[in-house]
Amino acid sequence: MATIPILIIDDEQDFAATLAERLQLRHFAARAVGGADEAMALMQGGWRPAVVIVDLKMPGLDGIETLGLIKQHDPTIEVILLTGQGSTTAGIEGMHKGLFDYLMKPVDIGELIAKIEQAAKKGN
Amino acid sequence: MKLRWPRCGQFLSLCGGGESGELNISKRYRCLRRSLLFIMLLLTMAPLSLVAGLSFYRYQKLTQFEAENNIRWHAESACRSLEVFLDRLKDSLVVVAGTHVLPGLVAPERLDRLFADLKNKHPGLVDLSIIAPDGVQVAYAGPYNLRGKNYLETPWYNRALTRKAFVSEVFFGFRNVPHFVVAVTKKEADGYWLLRASIDTDTLDQFLFSISTELAEDIFLIDQEGQLQTSSRHYGRVHDTFPLAAGRRGKKEVSVIEKRYEGKELLQAVGTVQGTPWLLVLEQKNVADRSAWLSFRNQLLLIFVVTVVAAILIVVRISQVIAGRVREADETREKMLAETEHTNKLASVGRLAAGVAHEINNPLAIINEKAGLMKDLLQLGTEFSGREKFLQQLSGLEDAVKRARVITHRLLGFARRMESTMEKVQINEVLGEVMGFLDKEAMYRDIRIRLDLQPDLPVVESDRGQMQQIFLNIINNAIDAIGKNGNIDITTRQVSPRAVLVEISDDGPGIPEELIQNIFEPFFTTKRDSEKPGTGLGLAITYGLVKKLGGEVSVASGVGEGTTFSISFPLKG
Repeated sequence: MATIPILIIDDEQDFAATLAERLQLRHFAARAVGGADEAMALMQGGWRPAVVIVDLKMPGLDGIETLGLIKQHDPTIEVILLTGQGSTTAGIEGMHKGLFDYLMKPVDIGELIAKIEQAAKKGN
Repeated sequence: MKLRWPRCGQFLSLCGGGESGELNISKRYRCLRRSLLFIMLLLTMAPLSLVAGLSFYRYQKLTQFEAENNIRWHAESACRSLEVFLDRLKDSLVVVAGTHVLPGLVAPERLDRLFADLKNKHPGLVDLSIIAPDGVQVAYAGPYNLRGKNYLETPWYNRALTRKAFVSEVFFGFRNVPHFVVAVTKKEADGYWLLRASIDTDTLDQFLFSISTELAEDIFLIDQEGQLQTSSRHYGRVHDTFPLAAGRRGKKEVSVIEKRYEGKELLQAVGTVQGTPWLLVLEQKNVADRSAWLSFRNQLLLIFVVTVVAAILIVVRISQVIAGRVREADETREKMLAETEHTNKLASVGRLAAGVAHEINNPLAIINEKAGLMKDLLQLGTEFSGREKFLQQLSGLEDAVKRARVITHRLLGFARRMESTMEKVQINEVLGEVMGFLDKEAMYRDIRIRLDLQPDLPVVESDRGQMQQIFLNIINNAIDAIGKNGNIDITTRQVSPRAVLVEISDDGPGIPEELIQNIFEPFFTTKRDSEKPGTGLGLAITYGLVKKLGGEVSVASGVGEGTTFSISFPLKG
């Protein structure tokens, strides 16, 4: 199985970096960035992630707005929303904009990997 | 549940301050009842007493007026009778004097015959005599020997000479017997001579007795100075003094006054006997002692007392009912306020919980990932002493994060106010779905779940998912309450054209009374020390969901009697 490229966008850098490292240990090509601008710059630079994991609440553009930009850039990229909030409103709104799924923090690594694999499969 | 002081308008404000507490509330409703009682009694008793008093007064006045008229009429009648009696005698004497000359009358046998004739017509006559112009009694017919007596110095003689016919006051005279004289004068050549007749006062007494009525207490004659002319029951014998007010002398009409004699209420009438120096005094019982008046007074009193008693009973009942209704209305209002307060509290706690959960979830996620990474690195790395110990510690850390996550997720679940998706829901089906989740758990614990579902239960318009959560929470609680080996009964039925009721009963240990009122409060739990501690959110969420679906939830429980939750859902959400 080919390595799945994953991009983690979260203003909690510590969280994003640690999660990326754990995914790398599981042979995913995971990268972590702190916001939408950085992510878009990376993608526009030519790197295409199969799955993007994005936090909902971030300074600047939030998770839903970032989803819109990603889908605008490449509709085939699947996005998973990872949020600490209980509200499902954002999740439902995201679904309407092409969100693959949403998960709640803190997430079990096994559960996350299963979602990533499903998303990657769909993206292919 | 917090008890708030209920307000019931102005009446309650009469009853003091607004302290809380069951005892004080009861006191104030008693005070309200008393205030109502007082006001209504005042409103009913005042006009009633006024009407009764006015009737009493008017009737008394009327009866008094009638009694006064009655005695006045009797006194006038008595005066007229006496006048007629004396006029007849005077007329007889005038006729005798007119038809005779002095020398003819002086002959003894002539006067004796005339006296016998007159005595036949006037039986009270004592004697008949002639007094010559020189004052000497020249002829006498009667039982005494009074011939030759000189009357020149007697007061009545000189006054008699000035009138054609004269009636004297009562005096004792030569015989020393109380009597009066009727005299007529005639002028002849030698001067005026008198034809005189005497009558004893016994005759007057008998006459007055004969004309008095059964109502009369006393009837007698007095002269203008108040000296008794006949004997009186109340004032003594002839020539005793009667207290006559100056204003009552010489009046033509009869005067009436009220009097009290030996404890008796009397009416006293005084009238002038025309052609005599006398006044007639008549005393009768006053109205207060009369049977008609007494009868009226007693009847009025009886009616008044009966009406007052009936009014008091009715007013007491009405004030009880009104106070009860006010209390009921206040309690309903209080309950509604408490429910609103509870709902608002749930919403506030929900918002707070959402904020807290979100803020905690982010650092919790970092801890989770860091611990996970450390575990990953240890598992991938080489063996070293203490590696297993590290792995154990990290597993503990992960478990703690999982526990914290469960709590924050529940908090968020509590706060989550998803828009309800209303659809046609068959409650029996929803209960069937919930049983699918719980069957195994119940079986492991040897708990029998018995369903008694109304087969034709109408569908309700509600949110299926939220309804599932409601039943799941309550049945889970019932299972936890029983622990092992017990029964849960679930019944459904339509209780009104607009509502369906679901009852979930368990035969667990029950809930103490003091805890029941807090059971729907957020973070209130009875399972804090049990093997599977609760968060205190399950029933608060259930309460919120039921309210959101337009329903009602209540709990009935007692220690050792099990617990029953009753949830009603409206047919239309």
